[in-house]
Amino acid sequence: MSGQTFYKGDLTTYLKRRSFLLRVGLITGGIFLNGCLKKIKSKYNIKGALNGPDSKAGHILRDKIKLPKPSSSRKVKTLIIGSGISGLSAARWLQKNGEKDFEILELENHPGGNSHFGTNKTSSYPLGAHYITVANNDDDLLIDFLKEINVITHFENKIPYYNDYFLTFEPEERLLINGEWQDGLIPDFGVPANDKLQIKDFLYLVSKLKNTKGSDGKFLFNIPISSSSADKDYRELDKITFKDYLEEKGYTSKYLLWYLNYACKDDYGQKLDKISAWAGLHYFASRRGEAANAEQNAILTWPEGNGWIMKQLTGKLKDHIKTSTMCYDINLTANGNMLATVFNPETNITEKIETEKIILSSPQYVNNRLLKNLHRPIEYSYFSYSPWLIANITINELPQSKGRGLCWDNVAYNTASVGYVNSAQQHLKISEDKKVITYYLPLCNFEPAVSRLAAYSRNYEQWLDIVVPELEIIHPGITQAIENIDFWIWGHGMIAPTKNFIWSENLEKARTPIEEKIFFAHSDLSGISIFEEAFHQGIKAAKQVLDANR
Amino acid sequence: MNKKLPALLLISVFVVATCGLIYELIAGTLASYLLGDSVTQFSTIIGVYLFSMGIGSWISKYFEKNILSWFIQIEILVGLIGGFSSTVLFLVFESIASFRIVLYGFVSLTGILVGLEIPLLMRILKDRYEFRDLVSKVFTFDYIGALLASLIFPLLLIPHLGLVKTAFMFGVLNVVVALIVCVSFKKEIRASKYLQSASMLSIITLLIGFVYADKITSFSESQTYSDTIIYSKSTLYQRIILTKKNKVLRLFLNGNLQFSSDDEYRYHEALVHPGLQALPFAKRVLVMGGGDGLAVREILKYQNIDSVTLVDLDKGMTSLFQSNKILLDINKNSLLSPKVKVINADAFSWIKAQQKKFDFIVIDFPDPSNYAVGKLYTNAFYKLVKGILAPKGLMVVQSTSPYVAPKSFWTVNKTLESVGLKTIPYHNYVPSFGEWGYILATEPENPYKKPQNYIPGLKFVSRESVNLMLFFPKDMGKVETEVNKLNNQILVKYFEDEWANVL
Repeated sequence: MSGQTFYKGDLTTYLKRRSFLLRVGLITGGIFLNGCLKKIKSKYNIKGALNGPDSKAGHILRDKIKLPKPSSSRKVKTLIIGSGISGLSAARWLQKNGEKDFEILELENHPGGNSHFGTNKTSSYPLGAHYITVANNDDDLLIDFLKEINVITHFENKIPYYNDYFLTFEPEERLLINGEWQDGLIPDFGVPANDKLQIKDFLYLVSKLKNTKGSDGKFLFNIPISSSSADKDYRELDKITFKDYLEEKGYTSKYLLWYLNYACKDDYGQKLDKISAWAGLHYFASRRGEAANAEQNAILTWPEGNGWIMKQLTGKLKDHIKTSTMCYDINLTANGNMLATVFNPETNITEKIETEKIILSSPQYVNNRLLKNLHRPIEYSYFSYSPWLIANITINELPQSKGRGLCWDNVAYNTASVGYVNSAQQHLKISEDKKVITYYLPLCNFEPAVSRLAAYSRNYEQWLDIVVPELEIIHPGITQAIENIDFWIWGHGMIAPTKNFIWSENLEKARTPIEEKIFFAHSDLSGISIFEEAFHQGIKAAKQVLDANR
Repeated sequence: MNKKLPALLLISVFVVATCGLIYELIAGTLASYLLGDSVTQFSTIIGVYLFSMGIGSWISKYFEKNILSWFIQIEILVGLIGGFSSTVLFLVFESIASFRIVLYGFVSLTGILVGLEIPLLMRILKDRYEFRDLVSKVFTFDYIGALLASLIFPLLLIPHLGLVKTAFMFGVLNVVVALIVCVSFKKEIRASKYLQSASMLSIITLLIGFVYADKITSFSESQTYSDTIIYSKSTLYQRIILTKKNKVLRLFLNGNLQFSSDDEYRYHEALVHPGLQALPFAKRVLVMGGGDGLAVREILKYQNIDSVTLVDLDKGMTSLFQSNKILLDINKNSLLSPKVKVINADAFSWIKAQQKKFDFIVIDFPDPSNYAVGKLYTNAFYKLVKGILAPKGLMVVQSTSPYVAPKSFWTVNKTLESVGLKTIPYHNYVPSFGEWGYILATEPENPYKKPQNYIPGLKFVSRESVNLMLFFPKDMGKVETEVNKLNNQILVKYFEDEWANVL
């Protein structure tokens, strides 16, 4: 906090802050007490680990740890901070354009950011982002990349033919509703006719929006978001919540609202009362990708999730990636260059790197700390990040249940999670005795800051208490079949497109480079956390660097 | 009047009530075992049973004279019917189409008889008690009996005795009540001698049933297979069952008939010869699936073949066909031939790693009845097969029945065409399977030439029979379908729909 009092604002902010601290204190305190009890005796006999991004890094950024004095210094023409998809994409672009002198600094001991994955004896499995959809056909940059990594194998009548092994295998999706697994995720089994009508009506509405262009001739909703229409009438939708929008439109069906709420949780980690209407509609109305060998918007996935794409990117960039290297300070120097101070927690060595250009492909809550010595006229508190829990569950055999058999994506109506995916879906083997299923739980019952602190204070046994009962509801008797559960917590899992965020002046300013020296590339600058946005943010920043070099 | 007698009658109320509820529980349990959906089964069984009891009570007014003797006869009858109920139901389940009619018939009959018991008993007792006392006593014992039954049934009887023995045991109890009543009231009953011997006989019959219950259930399980089971084994992947009737051997995998020794030659000759006879230069052959070695047996009839590679997932299956004497007789030791290399691997992963080409490739997988096997019928898989097919080679795919499942059959054809192969579909009649289909496929620049002569010793395939096999009558004619892909698995859906009508 660098010596400042936190109540520098007016009294209400102070009181809000106080009540926030009180609530956090009560919740985490309760969790801690409960945790002590659970440690003594847990209901379950399940083993596994509780992990997450390195928390030490966070403390260093907040000046909580004394670091050794810099012992060496060197020069790198371009530095990229963060090796998530946006950073890797920026690096790929620099490399494609002949740049050789660049480095990607990653504070974790592995690259990948949200595309991180794990592997055990049974299978590889995602720890975060786990699929992409077929590219929109006007997205040339993405299509070029997918061709490069053999996700698109060739074109038939100019329509991309996607790699047979990466398109999600059938059976793809099922929903547990009214006691039975139905085909697809849109509620249908046992749903009253009136509700079905509303669902149909909504889907018709978004299918119309999908193909509508604004007054400037651009699609209303597109990927990347920056290529969407600037039509004022529709951007107004960013100023209300999705919930208010749906109310205004007269959508009352609980089944429809469940489905839309599920969609918001799935893509944004928040419920529909927190998400802007523009973002809520974007989920349904922005994907128009055509494939020669699959239906529109078909899903592409891999056992390790987007970790597979990440590996394709890192393959050519190996010599440029420095892991366990955290940048914690950036300063301008007298000669017009910059000096980045970096620390390696494994070797415990601090060094200085002099650089001409920096691409910050780190999220803004990190940049807030990194750029503490520089002026950047934005309000960081508007960036809200949804916390997530990912559980990778190794099971022997799923108990038999009624309706459709195991699919890639398995969702249960009215549960806290957004379901689980079967990481063995893309395996070619005919029979396997064990499976790893990846369960996704957005922590959205409280405001993100509270949920995050609560998540950090839970121990392994307490997570079991949250996850296993829900699994038991979905699959009675599953507990017996569980061999192992590994938990992974993302405190800042993804940016939440809250109202007045995506099209705000603040976000516009956040995207603006500082003095043609520091450039920004992260999906939080798009406002939604999907692969495509990160990919384009990276290219955009790399292009800005190349332009500035000219 | 002997003072003990009313007490005896009350005890018989208790036994009768227990037995009655047990029969009801047995029927409900059996129905949910055999028909599934326990909520529906239990609730309909209980409903029908209670209703039938109502009918029984109503009928009871038509019994005017000799009530005691009627009561004894009904007891014997309930004992016999209830006792044999589960056995009969088990046995008829496999062989009767309308199992439900038999089931509900049994439930109604038992219900009516049990419904008769209490009213009759009350009338027997009516002169021995005051009405107030009578109602109170009879119903007390009735309900205590019900409680006992509902507790011991799930806790003791099902786990320790099983359904069949439980039924027999309570049948015996029922008849014992009849016998005791008969002996104690012999002065009041006219044909007591006759009734006594009838009860004795029934008890003996039921006891025999009780003793041989195990034999009966194992017999009923083997009814699934109409022939004698001579071998059964569960491997890692499937349950293998070999049956024998007269001289005919049948092999079942997970309950599906794989071959029958009296007509398998029709299938395997048709699978192998139209293709392999057209390739006089062929040296290397690949067989995928077909762990029984019967296709390999046909392939080894050609002198020009140097090597046969057999890829089958299940080691349990291939080892069985390399060691069991009866089976070695059928496949003529084919899997022991020095020319044959057996590989136990997952076909998809195995083929992805192959470089060397084969002149003839036989694809003999199980039918595409689930998503796992369905992967082996996709364009992605056929692309890989095409990749290891020698330039002038041929491949053949067993493609289910074009008569029962025309959409499935022509989907395989379409999928093979979609990867740039020229196909030659054909079919023949295999009595155990019905009309069966195969598809030959080749690179388009090497059109298939029908062989003019076949190797000697074939029982089915000849120039003339192949000409017939190549002709598709209208009822098996080509239908337009989609390509089967990993991301649509359309074939599994077609196959399910089409075979659902038959099975």
